[in-house]
Amino acid sequence: MFHDRSRYQSSRGYQLAPFRFSPLDGSRYIATNDVGEYVVLPREELVEFISHALPPDREAYKSLKSRHFMFDEYSRVALELLALKYRTRAEQLASFTGLHIFVVTLRCDHSCPYCQVSRQAEGRLDFDMSQEHADQALNFMFRSPSPALKIEFQGGEPLLHFERIRYIVERAKALNQVHGRDLQFVIASNLSRLTDEVLAFCREHGVLLSTSLDGPEALHNAQRPVRGGDSHQRTIDAIRRARQTLGPDAVSALMTTTQASLERVEDIIDEYVRQGFHGIFLRNVSPYGFAVRQRASRQYGVEAWVEFYKRGLAHILRINEQGYPLQEEFTAILLQKLFSPRGSTYVDLQSPSGIGIGALVYNYDGAVYASDEGRMLAEMGDFSFRLGHLSRDSYESIMTSETLLTHLSDTMPEGAPMCGDCAFLPYCGADPVFHQATLGDAVGHKAFSAFCKKQMGVLRHLIGLLEDDSRARDILLGWR
Amino acid sequence: MTTKEPEAPPPFIFRDGAIQTVLDLRVYRLTAIQKSAYRFAERCTAVLGSPEADRLPVRFVFGPTIIEQDALETARLFFQELLDQELREQVGDETRALRALIIAQAFSRTDLIRQD
Ligand code: SF4
Repeated sequence: MFHDRSRYQSSRGYQLAPFRFSPLDGSRYIATNDVGEYVVLPREELVEFISHALPPDREAYKSLKSRHFMFDEYSRVALELLALKYRTRAEQLASFTGLHIFVVTLRCDHSCPYCQVSRQAEGRLDFDMSQEHADQALNFMFRSPSPALKIEFQGGEPLLHFERIRYIVERAKALNQVHGRDLQFVIASNLSRLTDEVLAFCREHGVLLSTSLDGPEALHNAQRPVRGGDSHQRTIDAIRRARQTLGPDAVSALMTTTQASLERVEDIIDEYVRQGFHGIFLRNVSPYGFAVRQRASRQYGVEAWVEFYKRGLAHILRINEQGYPLQEEFTAILLQKLFSPRGSTYVDLQSPSGIGIGALVYNYDGAVYASDEGRMLAEMGDFSFRLGHLSRDSYESIMTSETLLTHLSDTMPEGAPMCGDCAFLPYCGADPVFHQATLGDAVGHKAFSAFCKKQMGVLRHLIGLLEDDSRARDILLGWR
Repeated sequence: MTTKEPEAPPPFIFRDGAIQTVLDLRVYRLTAIQKSAYRFAERCTAVLGSPEADRLPVRFVFGPTIIEQDALETARLFFQELLDQELREQVGDETRALRALIIAQAFSRTDLIRQD
């Protein structure tokens, strides 16, 4: 039952609009609203504001009013504007599932201790995706309403089954003659099998490459063992060849933080600069697959990773000040969430959770998972995020399956204890697979959640920089 | 109306791995107390007793490795959190209906709300 809006006008100077607040540091609070606007203010002012005692000539009053934290008698249209912004932020949900991950093989030639999947030996062809499953997955993908479809090939090492990649790309393009989507292809590979044939194919079809670079040679080789012990050299050579053939921006790289990397964030970043990258994603190790069995995921706590991130970000900002453009990708995603009216589509930080509606995974064996981490969890024997099978289930039955819908509704952070009151909620997400893996249920008690600690740690630091360091702010705002 | 901040809590005594206190339910709503207890679950278990009149006994139980100084600091922070939760309850009371109105307005020209 809705009342006329005059009912919401306050006799006490101004009417509070819905908002959440959390401590930012020892003395200040951050207040945010549902459309992602934020205001930082001292606690005394926050209390004054909530008490309807904030004088209109105060700077905080103006900020709170212009960012829709209150309505006064001069801000009648503000309610419509706020509703419009809310709608804009929610709109992207309608064009769901833009990312489709094809696991073309589980075979791999590396044996990285932090590997998140259960890789198989190179000769195990029974861990390859069949053409029949590839066809079914493509039909499935084109049922997604998203106008842009990104196909990401993963493994194992996907280039060990290049023939299937070739088939899928060519077939997707043929089918797209009818569907008319904006198609993009990425191969996530260690590049050790990047032959001239593969490069020529990538050039012909506009396929991008994403690889792993963990830092300087000794660190990278220690973390990414391969026969010959020269993973770093092979990766660097392949990056150079790929850039020559495909262009300077066709290869991106990812790093994974291990215990050994914790002290070396500056060296890792410098290696990215040395190799000509303009982006680096500082990633913590995930609690799935081999990483768990080999205890790589439990070597350091989230607090140590947040310190690693802070040091890394400071180093990246210094590098930018010296004239070399380099952005930290996780920070860039958060900045999009902080400042873009549409937020960001990064799957791990979605509300409702990005599982299924942000990404779908077609495993080598035809199983469909709600996220890449969901299939990794299944490799550990937990099938909570397995939605069905390409040979047995239709698109409709999978997308409206009890498994998916329950996870989505359970993980709306607005209704989750702690998240519902948290100022960081508009910039956060749910990550149900992480919580299932670490805490045993998809929502997770956030007081014990490493995901929550990471989000709070990083967001507090980032917002603190934006507020207090004008040079950092200028650089950071260029990353959005 | 101005929001009156409650007075400082009484000094805490740490004994047998726990701190015992009593909360005035006229000052702190039960929801605010429960939410604070949830948020502090990693640091201590807040065992809520049965309310008598307006008084709610609360016992903060700590893990075996806790030292007294940290336990006292945790109890102090719990009260700070309680103040925040109480403020959040006030904001919630005042804005709940407005949030529903904004969402209704946001989706009023979509298929999500039936027009009939
Ligand atoms: S996970 Fe943590 S940081 Fe994110 S919204 Fe929930 S309580 Fe806030």
